[in-house]
Amino acid sequence: MEIIMILVSAVFINNFVVVQFLGICPFLGVSKDFKSALGMGLAVTFVMTLTCLITYPIYTYILVPLKIEYMEIIVFIFVIAAIVQMIEMALKKYSPTLYNAMGIYLPLITTNCAVLGVAELVIDSAQIAALIGIEATAMNMGYAVLYGLFAGLGFTLAIVLMSGLREKINRLPINKHLKGFPIAMIAACFIAMAFYVFGLV
Amino acid sequence: MNNLLSQTLQINDVLIVVGIVAALAVIFAVLIVAVSKICAVQEDEKAKAISEHLAGANCGGCGYAGCADYAKALSEGKADLCACGATDNEAKEEIAKILGIPFSASVKTVAVVKCAGGDKCKDKYDYVGNHDCIYQNTFMGGKKLCSDGCLGEGSCVSVCVGNGIKVVDGVAVIDKTLCESCGACIRKCPKNLIELIPSTAKVYVACSTKCRGKDVMAACSVGCIGCGLCAKNCPENAITMVNNLPVIDYEKCSGCLTCVSKCPRKCIKEF
Repeated sequence: MEIIMILVSAVFINNFVVVQFLGICPFLGVSKDFKSALGMGLAVTFVMTLTCLITYPIYTYILVPLKIEYMEIIVFIFVIAAIVQMIEMALKKYSPTLYNAMGIYLPLITTNCAVLGVAELVIDSAQIAALIGIEATAMNMGYAVLYGLFAGLGFTLAIVLMSGLREKINRLPINKHLKGFPIAMIAACFIAMAFYVFGLV
Repeated sequence: MNNLLSQTLQINDVLIVVGIVAALAVIFAVLIVAVSKICAVQEDEKAKAISEHLAGANCGGCGYAGCADYAKALSEGKADLCACGATDNEAKEEIAKILGIPFSASVKTVAVVKCAGGDKCKDKYDYVGNHDCIYQNTFMGGKKLCSDGCLGEGSCVSVCVGNGIKVVDGVAVIDKTLCESCGACIRKCPKNLIELIPSTAKVYVACSTKCRGKDVMAACSVGCIGCGLCAKNCPENAITMVNNLPVIDYEKCSGCLTCVSKCPRKCIKEF
């Protein structure tokens, strides 16, 4: 039951891109065609899940007992940058095909605020418990990792929807002053409004 | 002042925090170093050296995803050195040395549209749809009566790196001063109407039709009917007729412009 709640919450109601407005840069930058959008989305999903897997225990078992919770952002940036680097190197060695498919998107994720956002969100047990309807004390690492995974899938959904729209839009006769980026912004706005409805039901 | 500072901020606490974070940083640094040692991949030295000599325009004109990808293909022997239009010949010679292959400096080339039809060529049907040649070409090979006429929707315009292509009177025209000879338009054109010719060329054939003379007469006022007058009259014998179309050998061409004046259809044009 909670898993479904996490899924609905992370993918639809609190979608990282179109509801919380995190990670807008790749959302607009890499959504020109379907293939690269999907690659970016999956790379982000991968990194988000791993980030939650690593930052949650670091926060709970190192920062909280030592009472230095306020260092979370610096530590999380460390973690994200380091794991992205390590993933990149590992992929290059063990799966060159995947490495080529993800290409430049992996390094781009290092500075993606959606990834830092999910790491910040899952440690705030009160907030996340309210989002997925569990007791704050019941929050554990499993939920954190699941939230990271579904948040990434939500990102993928948003960016893939956007790329599909933009591919369609590119073929339409559009006024010169709206062509390219302006119409993409308008399309993004409509997607955001559509997702907003999930929060109302 | 010193007192005030020590009251609000315990220097020891700060040091402890700095120490912890530094320790974390060191752990990650060690991890990264370890992973990089374990996952060390032999970088292709050749590709690296080649990409240093490439123009670095990342125009994609060679058909690869950027200069780095092209350098990799070159080092593996998959790509042709001539495919890059942006790199100058000296740099290409350097690359040829790295690769150990012979390279004769190719002459600087520019692209021309081998069609002058446009509005002068009649239409099969009225086309109302996406302004895209490839799209239009899927409907009975485009709206033109001539099977090899420029469709004029300007798909080449959008891919041109130097913004050198314009659609004038329904036919694409390339400004040779702006052409970077990258070949992006050549790959885009669904009718294969664009070709690279030496920039020193004096004339070019502005028609690619595969239709027969009689059909061309009916369809287009500037189409080649394959009469062969240009080939017969060329003093240098630089023109041969291949598939009812003149082909100019630019090494022989002296630029006398006889063919331009002899062509009854005015489809050999001064360049």
